[in-house]
Amino acid sequence: MPAEALTNEVRLLRFLAQDMTQAELGRRVGLTRQTIAAIEQGRYSPSLEVAFRIADVFGKRLDEVFHWNPGDVAAPGKGP
Amino acid sequence: MSPFEKRAWLALWSQCPPYIVYFLIQATMPHGLTFLERIACLAVVASVHAIAYLAGLLAMKWQERGEPLLLDERDRAIDGRATRTAYFVMLAGLVVVGVVMPFSDSGWKLTNTALFAIVLAETVRYALIVAGYRRRPRLAR
Repeated sequence: MPAEALTNEVRLLRFLAQDMTQAELGRRVGLTRQTIAAIEQGRYSPSLEVAFRIADVFGKRLDEVFHWNPGDVAAPGKGP
Repeated sequence: MSPFEKRAWLALWSQCPPYIVYFLIQATMPHGLTFLERIACLAVVASVHAIAYLAGLLAMKWQERGEPLLLDERDRAIDGRATRTAYFVMLAGLVVVGVVMPFSDSGWKLTNTALFAIVLAETVRYALIVAGYRRRPRLAR
């Protein structure tokens, strides 16, 4: 089972921030509730600016919220 | 479900059935319809499409209860990707209609092929928008 290349702790951090709603987080970073849900489920990778904004809302560094797993991704140009 | 995904589904469901019927009628009766009948057929199909879309849009607006429709970077990215692909579908269709077909066909065949290219491009756009919202998690290879 392949792992996701980009994972995040947004759901956990929302829970720790007094159970902040997706809509509230979305309002604070300029996204819709559906996009926050997509980010949490790994269906959408946000832009760098939005990723920084999300980290800022929780008072964390970017790498504490989003994790990149380079070992799980094939090198460019190589076949499967 | 995102309001934009809902609108894409509405556009697909209001557009595809009437135009499928229209193109089936045109394909099965190429010489059996008079000019007025063809125009009437097109007017009925376009009206059904417009009424179904507007009715669906009004129902959605009523459901959203005046909530502002926000567009964020994900919505714009999905729409941009779908529109780019649909543009090339439209381009290919219009090359066929405007560059190739005039040497061999004329009249309603040209009109219907142009209409088909437009409907196909719109369908591709909305289908890709829906697919964009339903994209599965990106997995590492």
